[in-house]
Amino acid sequence: MAKLSERTAGALVLGAVVVGFVLILAIGLIGVAVMQRNLAYTDQVAHTYEVQNAINDFRLLNERMETARRGYLLSPEPNFARVFEETSLQLPGALARIGQLTRDNPAEQARVARAQALVRDEVAAARVSVANRLASAANFAEDEVVQDIRAIRQLAHEMAEDEAKKLAHRDTERRKAIRQLTGVIAVAGIVTFVVAVGSLWIIWRYTRDLADSHEALGRLNASLEEEVSSRTAELSRANEEIQRFAYIVSHDLRSPLVNVMGFTSELEAAARPLAALIEKADAEAPGLVSPDARAAVMTDLPESLGFIRASTQKMDRLIGAILRLSREGRRVLTPEPIELAKLFETVVATLKHVADDRGAEIVLAPGLPSLVSDRLALEQIFSNLIENALKYLKPGRPGRIEVHAHRRGERIIVEIADNGRGVDPKDHARIFDLFRRSGAQDQPGEGIGLAHVRALGYRLGATVTVDSALDAGATFRVSLPMTLSPEAAAA
Amino acid sequence: MTDTRHVSIVMIEDDEGHARLIERNIRRAGIMNEIRHFADGGSALNYLHNDENGPARNGPALVLLDLNLPDMSGTDILADIKSSDRLRRTPVVVLTTTDDKVEIQRCYDLGCNVYITKPVNYESFADAIRQLGLFLSVIQVPDVEGGA
Repeated sequence: MAKLSERTAGALVLGAVVVGFVLILAIGLIGVAVMQRNLAYTDQVAHTYEVQNAINDFRLLNERMETARRGYLLSPEPNFARVFEETSLQLPGALARIGQLTRDNPAEQARVARAQALVRDEVAAARVSVANRLASAANFAEDEVVQDIRAIRQLAHEMAEDEAKKLAHRDTERRKAIRQLTGVIAVAGIVTFVVAVGSLWIIWRYTRDLADSHEALGRLNASLEEEVSSRTAELSRANEEIQRFAYIVSHDLRSPLVNVMGFTSELEAAARPLAALIEKADAEAPGLVSPDARAAVMTDLPESLGFIRASTQKMDRLIGAILRLSREGRRVLTPEPIELAKLFETVVATLKHVADDRGAEIVLAPGLPSLVSDRLALEQIFSNLIENALKYLKPGRPGRIEVHAHRRGERIIVEIADNGRGVDPKDHARIFDLFRRSGAQDQPGEGIGLAHVRALGYRLGATVTVDSALDAGATFRVSLPMTLSPEAAAA
Repeated sequence: MTDTRHVSIVMIEDDEGHARLIERNIRRAGIMNEIRHFADGGSALNYLHNDENGPARNGPALVLLDLNLPDMSGTDILADIKSSDRLRRTPVVVLTTTDDKVEIQRCYDLGCNVYITKPVNYESFADAIRQLGLFLSVIQVPDVEGGA
């Protein structure tokens, strides 16, 4: 089974929920519509019942009136006369009610109109027959009233038939509407169920995938940590190897250098009696020593020896620098809380005589922060930087060196700014390389200081950068971690 | 009082130049004892243990030892000397270019008597050797027969 991406799962769940809600809304609307239709049908059915009742009332009154008339004609009792009076008065009203109720039905209206005419006839004829108590009562078959009554019966029957048909139709419609409603509700139930199950399934799958990927992430993290620590171990091994290499190389270079310097001195020592001999020969037997021999012993030899000595001394200093760097690289760092203000005061105090000699002032900005780091390494870094600033002042401009520091996130940025001769931007990277220098070579030095500063900085987790232009002073920026962790110190 | 002329100096030094400079400066200090020079550890150990005139069999001696040798480490030779019943009283002066603290400590732990770093600066070097010569002229080296 393919894994659900977070995006796909989100879209699916959202889609399902939207589809579900739309369906439920649609179902609700359909339900309301069906219900309303149903209600309308119910109203119509009730109306039809009412009409039927009215028709029945009418029929009943009609029959009662005829019965009362006939009774009266047969035996003229006041009771019959009263009933006849009542019913004959009520009959048109009952018919009018049917007419009212069936106003929307032209067929019924027509029938009602015909019935009204018949009723008028009938009632009039009946009144006449009651008033006269005609012998015609014996012959009901030809009685005009009886003709009317038959016609009215027929009409009422038709009306009732019509209404019954309508009732049957409306009842069917109503049942159909109820069936539809049931169907809609059933479909809604099924759809809701499907959507709910689908959403749950997607959510379940997504949650499971999420848990899986969480687990995978955990495993990856663990392996990453392992990877990092093994890489770190490799790096520190490689670093150790380089340090060891530097150490061995510088040592092994020293050994032949001892010979070069030693035998150079021996040569110098040997040259001294030779020079004395030449002087003596010149004094005792002028012309014995050739000018070439004299020049060789008196000038060439000392000059050559001087160059050899100077070069070997320089080589010794360079080897010493490499040794110092490799030794510094192997020193165990001990992080401790350090107040930068105090540390700089110490550094400035040791450089005070140099600054005074060169007529430069060193200004510490107030409020230098504190941090946790290796004191000795920091002292070396900052004294190297300030020493450099004092060394490369712009002649004719009183030196001013400012030390600022501020906190940025978890780091402390220390800036050492001078107004000296500056560093050409093309040399900004170069000056941090071992034995490389920039600008006029008018100051003593081997090009070790900044390489040392950067190497120390790396060990403290710091970066050292320079911002400068020729004749515009230089700002060296050291970005240090607030806290040098013991693990980083041990690496 | 021990007759210093009978004490032979065994110099184990692979660099001929260093050996020469050391010898010259010892002589300049007025030490005229016999100096036997070995350029490798194997022949030096062979002499120390087995030679008829070697310190193990006969005659007191003092060992000048360089740590960087082609065939074995100087500290191995030091350990060998100091673990031998017949040689362990023989004074050993380690004279080497290595100024690593750990190495120095290790040599003293193994029983080295003096540790001297060869300075590159020749004047200092010559000074150190001459002072070593003066030191050699006054130290008492145990007699093997007497000691054993």
